[in-house]
Amino acid sequence: MAVGKQFNQFFGKTRFVVCRIFLHLSGAEVTPLLGILNQATRDAIAAEGDLQVLGEKLVDVCQALLQFNIYWKTAANEGDVLWDEAEAADYVDELFTDSAQRYLSQPDLAQSDLTQPGFSGKASDQAMFSLPATQNLVVMFTIAGEGEISELETNLADPEAMQDALKALINLHYQGRLRGIQIHFSPAQFGDELTDDQLLQNFPELVPI
Amino acid sequence: MLRQLALLVLSLTLCWTTFACGSPSGMTANQTQVSTPVPPTAPVSNPSLNSGPTNSGEYSLQQAEYDDATGEYTLMLLGSTPPIYRTVDLQMARLTDEELQAGKQSYASINGDQATLHLTEDFKIGYVHNVTEAQVDPQTGQTETVIVRQESNSWSPFASSFAGAAIANSLFAPRYYVPPVYRSGGNLLGYGGYGNSYNGAVDNYRSRYNTPPAAVKNRQVLRTSGAVRSPSSSSSTPKRQTTNRSTGSGVGSSDLRQPFQQTRPSQTTKRRSPSFGSSGTRRRSSGGARRRR
Repeated sequence: MAVGKQFNQFFGKTRFVVCRIFLHLSGAEVTPLLGILNQATRDAIAAEGDLQVLGEKLVDVCQALLQFNIYWKTAANEGDVLWDEAEAADYVDELFTDSAQRYLSQPDLAQSDLTQPGFSGKASDQAMFSLPATQNLVVMFTIAGEGEISELETNLADPEAMQDALKALINLHYQGRLRGIQIHFSPAQFGDELTDDQLLQNFPELVPI
Repeated sequence: MLRQLALLVLSLTLCWTTFACGSPSGMTANQTQVSTPVPPTAPVSNPSLNSGPTNSGEYSLQQAEYDDATGEYTLMLLGSTPPIYRTVDLQMARLTDEELQAGKQSYASINGDQATLHLTEDFKIGYVHNVTEAQVDPQTGQTETVIVRQESNSWSPFASSFAGAAIANSLFAPRYYVPPVYRSGGNLLGYGGYGNSYNGAVDNYRSRYNTPPAAVKNRQVLRTSGAVRSPSSSSSTPKRQTTNRSTGSGVGSSDLRQPFQQTRPSQTTKRRSPSFGSSGTRRRSSGGARRRR
């Protein structure tokens, strides 16, 4: 395997690192992050998935996460090194699908219709004024980068390693080495909740940091 | 006797290692076998970015075509089997003056999975332009980009339409070229960007026009999931204790090149096992050599 690696390097093949990072934050104070995350996805859609724009949004999210580092609770990461671009593309797609099935892909319309303000009575009015702040927030990044990224190719279930990794993501954007970016987060918006049970059930790989 | 045996074994080993190192596809097949217990039909052809003749050599060029939706070149080569060669990884160079004086025509030299076109100045590459339009899918309500129609045109990368081209062409070394901005009617002259790698050419194009070339832009597939696309349901949504998942949103985009459909192996359901990361328990035992915990 090591010989193969040297051969690939010798013949100038591009090395791709595809990896996914989970970061779970806990505490009601992390709610402002939801605004940053939603803004990021809206801007990315408005730019029709332009990688440059998505990279800038990734930088915003990483910087925000670095500021909230005292609320980091658990984390996980996984990834692989590939020499074939097509294989890397397949892996990136696969990770998107896997990340997306960890939360409700469709908003629960049946429930939200019942509680439209104006249609129902006092109960929902009260609910409108007292929104539950979520106790948990999970952010999932998937990136595909070129070259060797030693900060990401390690076990990130450690606060310092995670800080280095988030900084590395920011740097990768400015170095123009990112070829694929995905940002997922759960819950979707202020007022939705991610309970501890849901966390355990859908994110079994998280390790306390 | 023993000496002869040793000689035989050593020469066999030498042969074996030479072949093992020689074919990169065999090597990657070995790699996957190490990391995952692949079914016995394992040595599938690697999903590569091109398809066509595997024997290297120089072939005279009958016709070349470029599709700006995928960035794919289709070459029709004389004297090769099969005659059609499709690739996205193509370098181009102008014929040198010596070759021109010798009366040489445009040709393609193929070396493994690397192709280089040597073109005369007036060679026209067929250019298929895809007119795209954002349409709303009536069933899902999502906006998607669809190809409305195709226009065909031609592109002459080495026709000296501007001064800079002459200088760049004087180097004659094969490089990667990106076609110029499309305009309907009339031959496309010159190039939009060039570089020593495909990404270098794309960057060159981007710095000139402040937008990625059409082929790259089309490759940036935006994927979204969750609540992003749907009109935001009122923020008075109650706690959802009934479901086992919370809400969430995701957005992703990549410009990695996908393999051609026909070269993609049929088994796509294989779940990769990560080679690094924090999840030590989910990893297969056979991949444990690279464990870092």
